[in-house]
Amino acid sequence: MVTRYVTQWLPGIFFGLAAATPLVTRDAFFHDTVILILMWGAIAGAWNVAGGYAGQVSLGHAGFFGLGAYSVALLAVRWDLPAWSGMAVGAALSTIAGLIIGYLSNRLRGPYFALATIAFAQVLLIVASRWRELTKGSEGIPVPFRPGFATLGFPSKVSWIYVALGFALAVWAVQTYLEHSRVGYQLAGVREDEDAAQALGIHSRRLKILAVAASAALTSIGGSLWAAYIGFVDPFYVFSIDLSIEFALKAIIGGTGAALGPFLGSLLITSLETYLRAQFSGVRTGFTGIYLIIYGCALIIVVRFFPRGLAGALAVAGRSGAAPVPQPADAA
Amino acid sequence: MLLELTAVTKRFGGLLAVREVNLQVQAGELVGIIGPNGAGKTTLFNVISGFLVPEAGEVRVDGRDITGVPSHGIARLGICRTFQIVKPFGNLTVLENVMIGALTPLRSVVDARDEARRVLVRCGLGPWQDVPAKSLPIGLRKRLEVARALATRPRLLLLDEVMAGLNATELKGMVGLIRDLHAGGLTVIVIEHIMAAIMRLCQRIVVLHHGEKIAEGPPDGVSRDPRVIDAYLGEELALT
Repeated sequence: MVTRYVTQWLPGIFFGLAAATPLVTRDAFFHDTVILILMWGAIAGAWNVAGGYAGQVSLGHAGFFGLGAYSVALLAVRWDLPAWSGMAVGAALSTIAGLIIGYLSNRLRGPYFALATIAFAQVLLIVASRWRELTKGSEGIPVPFRPGFATLGFPSKVSWIYVALGFALAVWAVQTYLEHSRVGYQLAGVREDEDAAQALGIHSRRLKILAVAASAALTSIGGSLWAAYIGFVDPFYVFSIDLSIEFALKAIIGGTGAALGPFLGSLLITSLETYLRAQFSGVRTGFTGIYLIIYGCALIIVVRFFPRGLAGALAVAGRSGAAPVPQPADAA
Repeated sequence: MLLELTAVTKRFGGLLAVREVNLQVQAGELVGIIGPNGAGKTTLFNVISGFLVPEAGEVRVDGRDITGVPSHGIARLGICRTFQIVKPFGNLTVLENVMIGALTPLRSVVDARDEARRVLVRCGLGPWQDVPAKSLPIGLRKRLEVARALATRPRLLLLDEVMAGLNATELKGMVGLIRDLHAGGLTVIVIEHIMAAIMRLCQRIVVLHHGEKIAEGPPDGVSRDPRVIDAYLGEELALT
């Protein structure tokens, strides 16, 4: 019973601890880790809106992430516009791209959809790395730091913790809405069996398109925040397939069926990655790539032993103390 | 006339699955559609429910032409179908399955949950409401199909072989449920491969064979029709 309360209060504990970080430590490295856990968790949550709740597994979400990141960078560098407007432009572009990709999801199912999304991100990567007049090509673009709220120019990491936390809570709220609302139930129906959902009066195509578009817009906002925080946009990173896969993996390892899942996935992977990179950085150690190996092992373990992710494993642990689900005998 | 089909034709490549079928169903009727395997029964349901668009002919509901209206639109007009090969939302609970149906007419999740519970009790699925749908045995899955469709509050219910694969007890329960729904004022069209149950249940039987309607009328008349006997000749399922 105690464990059940743990799962129920887990979101509160998770976000509460994140909010309390500045009170506990002034270590900038630790603050940075918390910011990244929240940001990557939120973006994995944004991916989950399409990949988990709508069942449209995308491996091209770096495309939306990059659109958000580049919009902030380009609008600041070329037209001297504040980061918020870049974020809005990126979200708008990503929404349009998301509507198109969502429309594709009605034509291409499963692996074919995933391939199409990879192609989408790759096209953007080529454009961003070749259109030198606009994007400076593969050099990338530094995002100018201008102090102030409108430009997302926060000098302290503590401010960034709360910005990232706000974004994370927003994504968590969207996911929670999808678990408990009318449209969320309908989307679950579409994910489970599209024909059956149609037969019950659900406009499945429209729902899928909207879910992918919403997922795209949120991912793009994440990309914008990330660009403003890191201060540099590199096409080969922000549009990379590695990044797309990371979004998906964090959500899957954490658990796609729960709003907190992607955040738990990010907690595990981001902290592990940060720690391992810090431990084994530098060529001399000879372990520069080891975090990738551990990453792969973590994935295998989760998929093998916790098919519903960390959140699913916790939910099962919580339920084991409660009464078993009644399984009445044949009473027809 | 609640439902009116005029010369509906559906073709798959060279195969005429449904050929110039006319059918009229009045509000409050309980109609059975029978026919050997491949007679075009399910295709006809697919056309009525908007999953297939016919090559020729018209489907009218309350006199309004609905040919070409997509399936979700048909469902919202109050025509709900079940699937012969059941399609439960496997990872969701039985209650959630039915709630999704109830959320078509209802906006509120709380209301839909109440409605779903009522429907489940009515269909005898009450004790299973918190069980994942995929863990139900086939007999109960068939019931779940009916319950989910009922939750959309249809005016016309299209049941596609909901009695196939049931044991004697389950069959009795399903027949009782359909009778009950019909007595409550619902218009029902039942497709069935097995004739025994449907002959007892329906007031009017339509017989399809090779996509064509070969007979129509009360069970007694249909079962004596030589064309029907001919169509079923060699089938192990004798007319009873």
